[in-house]
Amino acid sequence: MDWTLNLLLLTLLLATAIAVIRIRDLLAAAIVFSAYSLVMAILWTQLRAPDLALTEAAVGAGVTTVLFIITIYRTVRKED
Amino acid sequence: MRKAIMLLALAGIGVMLIYAVGEMPPMGDSGNPDKTHVAPRYLEHGEEEAGASNVVTAVRLNYRGYDTMGEVAVIFCALCAVVAVLGREKTGLSRTHMDVSRVKASVVVRTTVRFLVPVIIFFAIYIILHGEETPGGGFQGGAIIGASIILFTLAFGLPESTRKIPLKSRVPLESFAVIAFLAAGFTGILFGANFLTYIMPGLSEHAAETIRQVMMMVIEIGIGFAGGIIFTSIMFAMIREDKYELQPDSS
Repeated sequence: MDWTLNLLLLTLLLATAIAVIRIRDLLAAAIVFSAYSLVMAILWTQLRAPDLALTEAAVGAGVTTVLFIITIYRTVRKED
Repeated sequence: MRKAIMLLALAGIGVMLIYAVGEMPPMGDSGNPDKTHVAPRYLEHGEEEAGASNVVTAVRLNYRGYDTMGEVAVIFCALCAVVAVLGREKTGLSRTHMDVSRVKASVVVRTTVRFLVPVIIFFAIYIILHGEETPGGGFQGGAIIGASIILFTLAFGLPESTRKIPLKSRVPLESFAVIAFLAAGFTGILFGANFLTYIMPGLSEHAAETIRQVMMMVIEIGIGFAGGIIFTSIMFAMIREDKYELQPDSS
């Protein structure tokens, strides 16, 4: 049971990680990165590390996304 | 030519890395060194040596106390760097584009945030105080507090947030985590033990236990609230915009 879920999560993790690098629109990249953090948080709980999952969900998916969006808002949105 | 050399070097390093990974003990195998020496020690003696029934907390605050202290110092340094570059906001005077634009966060968002933020902060306090027995602890709770204040700022704007949590009350809190950690560390030296020792020698069992409880609580609360406030301050420093700043009343 764990096996299929983990495979799905790892595939999703790889897909989002590659997408973050490939996407030119930085705002979209920030959002995808937050999705990456969320998948990673679920994976941490799968690896029985709930402490890390809590941190990843709060910092990775929450705080850093907001900080990225503030930074993008005050600089430029498109990567050249 | 250059590209070929680069590719060759990268391929070489890649092969070596994959070869090294192949040599590693299989993940989760019960015969690994960390399972035969480190983990049993933590599991068997963690509660009496470190005094926390949650082993992760025992490792985080006691066995690897230096590690956690360094982490706390790192986020404090991050705040120092952000403030040094961007400066502080002025209470009630700093605004953002969001605050001057006529498009406000909708009633739905504001009402939801108004109901959610107290619940989130309550949950964060539970995580901080309950870290000794359950997953979580100071840093996790602090991150959740920071996230809730950021949520509030996004819905209600910077002036409202800086009125609720003014700079005056944040400044002493920001350094509290590092100070609490150092104070706890030096308490050990004061009693003739090592730096960051929680169980003091030469005291009755009851007194030593009480001191240990208090110290761990102070450190957890310190990391928690200071962490949350540091995230808040970084966000405030980044979001404020000089060109929209109000002039202080000269009258």
